[in-house]
Amino acid sequence: GAAPAPRYEVVVIGGGHAGTEAAAAAARGGARTLLLTHRIGTIGEMSCNPSFGGIGKGHLMREVDALDGLCGRICDRSGVHYKVLNRCKGPAVWGLRAQIDRGRYKENMQKEILNTPLLTVHEASVEDLLLTEPEPDHPGKCRVAGVVLGDGSTIHAGSVILTTGTFLRGMIFIGLEMHPAGRLGDQPAIGLAQTLEKLGFAVGRLKTGTPPRLAKDTIDFSGLEERAADNPPVPFSFLSEAVWIKPEDQLSCYLTRTTLNAQQIIRDNLHLNNHIRETTRGPRYCPSLESKVLRFPNREHQVWLEPEGLESNVIYPQGMSMTLPPELQEQVIKSVPGLEKAKILQPGYGVQYDFLDPRQLTASLESRLVQCLFFAGQINGTTGYEEAAAQGVIAGINACLRVHGKPPFIVSRTEGYIGVLIDDLTTLGTSEPYRMFTSRVEFRMSLRPDNADARLTHRGFEEAGCVSQQRYEQAVKMKAALEDGIATLKSLQFSISKWSQLIPEVPISSSRRSAYDILQYPEANMEVLARAVPEPLGKLAQWRELAARLKIEAAYEWCVVSQQQEIEEVRRDEALRLPEDLDYFAIDASLSAEVREKLDSNRPQTIGAVSRIPGITPAAIVNLLRFVKTNHQKTEKLKALPQTGNLFTDKTHAGCIRSSSGCVLWQCQGVEQRCRMCRS
Amino acid sequence: SWRWGGSLLSPPKAPVGWKQACAWGWDVPALAGGELTAVGPRSFTGEDCAELHVHGGPAVLSGVLRALGRLPGLRPAEPGEFTRRAFRRGKLDLTAAEGLGDLIRAETEAQRRQALRQMDGELGRLYQRWSKTLTRALAHLEAYIDFSEDDNVEEEVLSQVDAIVRALEQEIGAHLQDGRRGELLRGGVHAVIAGPPNVGKSSLLNLLCQRPAAIVSPVAGTTRDVVEVALNVGGYPLVLSDTAGLRDATDPVEQEGVSRARDRLQHADLVLAVLDAAAVPTEPAGLGAALGSLLPPPAPPCILVLNKADLLREEGGALRDACARGDPLPPTTLLSCKTGEGLDHLLELLARQLARLCGDPLAGSPSLTQSRHSLHLGDCAAALARYGRERRRDLGLAAERLRLARRHLGRITGHVGAEDVLDIIFRDFCIGK
Repeated sequence: GAAPAPRYEVVVIGGGHAGTEAAAAAARGGARTLLLTHRIGTIGEMSCNPSFGGIGKGHLMREVDALDGLCGRICDRSGVHYKVLNRCKGPAVWGLRAQIDRGRYKENMQKEILNTPLLTVHEASVEDLLLTEPEPDHPGKCRVAGVVLGDGSTIHAGSVILTTGTFLRGMIFIGLEMHPAGRLGDQPAIGLAQTLEKLGFAVGRLKTGTPPRLAKDTIDFSGLEERAADNPPVPFSFLSEAVWIKPEDQLSCYLTRTTLNAQQIIRDNLHLNNHIRETTRGPRYCPSLESKVLRFPNREHQVWLEPEGLESNVIYPQGMSMTLPPELQEQVIKSVPGLEKAKILQPGYGVQYDFLDPRQLTASLESRLVQCLFFAGQINGTTGYEEAAAQGVIAGINACLRVHGKPPFIVSRTEGYIGVLIDDLTTLGTSEPYRMFTSRVEFRMSLRPDNADARLTHRGFEEAGCVSQQRYEQAVKMKAALEDGIATLKSLQFSISKWSQLIPEVPISSSRRSAYDILQYPEANMEVLARAVPEPLGKLAQWRELAARLKIEAAYEWCVVSQQQEIEEVRRDEALRLPEDLDYFAIDASLSAEVREKLDSNRPQTIGAVSRIPGITPAAIVNLLRFVKTNHQKTEKLKALPQTGNLFTDKTHAGCIRSSSGCVLWQCQGVEQRCRMCRS
Repeated sequence: SWRWGGSLLSPPKAPVGWKQACAWGWDVPALAGGELTAVGPRSFTGEDCAELHVHGGPAVLSGVLRALGRLPGLRPAEPGEFTRRAFRRGKLDLTAAEGLGDLIRAETEAQRRQALRQMDGELGRLYQRWSKTLTRALAHLEAYIDFSEDDNVEEEVLSQVDAIVRALEQEIGAHLQDGRRGELLRGGVHAVIAGPPNVGKSSLLNLLCQRPAAIVSPVAGTTRDVVEVALNVGGYPLVLSDTAGLRDATDPVEQEGVSRARDRLQHADLVLAVLDAAAVPTEPAGLGAALGSLLPPPAPPCILVLNKADLLREEGGALRDACARGDPLPPTTLLSCKTGEGLDHLLELLARQLARLCGDPLAGSPSLTQSRHSLHLGDCAAALARYGRERRRDLGLAAERLRLARRHLGRITGHVGAEDVLDIIFRDFCIGK
């Protein structure tokens, strides 16, 4: 007979930024993992901008790195222009960013993925999911058990992670032309989209775009504003001492601006532009040139000319995303100073694609509808490599923990940008491609790029098992050194007049007298202090990374301390979990119909999440708390009785699927709603 | 309702008096009979708790709340907060929970209605305007942090934010300054009779209190110590102090009297400035100058009393005109303590001033929420002030101050989420790559 179908603990579909991180994280966690992609050659493809990081996004990368993710390390081996944004605005909002050599990135990523222990990579398209009976103690009407490939063969899996990006019914728009594709030149995934729809997943549609690519040797850079890279470049990864490139070998970016001519061309040709006229929601912060011109008329718009690689002749004109017919794109390009003779290598295009309402996911990124099925990346309505990578790591870790029967690994909003990203998505959903901003983060002063390791590496090692011994030890060492350093600085106390004498360059105005207090002054740093008090501070100042981190810790001390109480409040609320399959229309709590509606569509997982849903009153929160409390006690009592079986089984009326949780087709508004939690 | 702030103070084990409370640095006004009781951990929430037992009456409550609010780490509880804490601690059992939801809903609904009622008026519109202004300033600052490097968010945005924040801080500060009405109503308006020696200050005191409370003599410098009487004028409490005549005295006892008089003047809510009608210039400018030399600015609210009107002859007409014209003079009246002529007019002026200082105790909002408002506004203004200090050092920290200010204001006007801020950012700036 035929050989039995191969079996993996975790199967990841898609080899983009979410998929690679997910597969690598699952494998690091100890799961036998399979990565399925259309073409191995496209693994690690940067299909849009040739850069990583930025403000908010750089924060995400540091956190991905703290969990031993890939993108930070690979960027440190592939960048051609490293620059920390927001340098003068304080270390909490520094944005690590780099222009990346596309070719090198892809090459390094493929090398990494193809050499990860426990990780296998296959080229195949996935057409369908294998489904089986659900586990009774989890929500969901069924459980995923594997995938069906394009050739009809099957692969069994404990968990499946879907990271198909824009490939779900992807449609590309150039002018009036449109054709199905996930990315220019790659086929969309249609079978999978149908499967998900049949399962009852709520699907929305989003759009995004990419600018035309230009030939570098046809651009006149002479009159343009140059932006040089940092020297020395700052690496992304906690593991990197330095980046691969010599500081002086880095490439520059150039700034130019559109003129009113471009506006005229765009306005005159709106009728030739399907993508723009569509009603699908695009991002407000990454708009096409067309929408910028329409919304903010009669002004110049910035265009950054970014290199795509060391040897590459391609320039990426950031800010010129457009979907006009190619010949008109050429006219627009030629109207821009410096680009008068520029040759278009590939026209800009728009993409419209399906995304799944992320409110159908738990904070571990597992779907509520289908057990063991995880989603990560653009399919959840986000935009950006970094947002995708962050979800990938979390989905990979949790898919692995799920098959190993361990509790999920969840990053709270109080712990990281990753937590904010996933909580926003799974609690509030999104109506435009979701991008990370620092303004979304409540505890911005505490969740800084410098301390991502202190926040996450320990947990990643202990709870998720996805962090290497080496990284863990490094983080432990740094944490101990920081604690010791702070203690040393705090215990070193002099009178104010002594300090003024020791370090006249620092204008001391307060009466606080420890070295740690003095370090808070903008003019002070560890070097200055060590010069004044070589023993015991000299040693601390020599370790430059430590010295820099001590300075940041001192400067933010008051703020972090004052936020701590608030963080504790949020954590206590987040510790109060709501049952996954709670039927908000049925529960016996004093809640208005409007509040029930909101709770039902948002499916908050904790009381903390409830309080972030717009329009939920304090009274509603208290009522829910009361319900959770009483319900929890009942459940505990029932569990204590032997062989009671499923809590609700006896109440299930005919026509429903086995367990009560199976009936909770909460996203459906029709028949299913009647038998939610078997109210009859 | 109030809760302990962190581990700021450990709660006392037994009831203590206000004296003890003051010894801890509680700036609580002396409220005879008040008592502090510790009831934790067998409290409603299961946490260490202190109960303040004070005399009833909104003015007392408001005063206590305001005093508590000045302590670092103390803040008013949010609606339903005590119940949430009780749940967390497992203090509410099933039977206790019965019906609690409805109770809470009634409570918060009432609070909401109350807040709405307050928000409906001029004051509400003012707070809403501040809220909008502050949210916009915050959004622009956030835009500058998140987008200035790549996009067209120019540096001018920052100086605009600075200007908005400065103006708002001043506006809120000024608003808080005249928000002491409840306190005045409770403690009485402290009015000081001041003026040169021998103009009839003590006679005025005696006339107003209808008894010879102060010694009166034709000798200049008779009054040395401060003489205080409590009066009721038009229903408002007035504490009237007669002070020594202001002059460069040589007698050490009189010197002390003058220095006490100046001290009283500094802390006065209202001054009755008394001048000799027969010895002052008759035209308003000259009168103003005479008053200015007596009360150099910044002077508290003032009523100018021109005494000894019975001695006036032909210059009386000009003075009467000056009194009637008012501006640039404060409310002014001619009076004769000897004949009582002009007393009615003085009482009328006094009542008007008192009404202005105290507000109408029957109308308006309950003082409890009023003190809650002034507390949050005070915190908001303080955070705005710190923004200015932080701004050149670290923009992230400065933004944190604005976020804090926004949160404090939000406790009055409603929560503003990140999405609202982003909406403003994308409306006001062309962000895009």
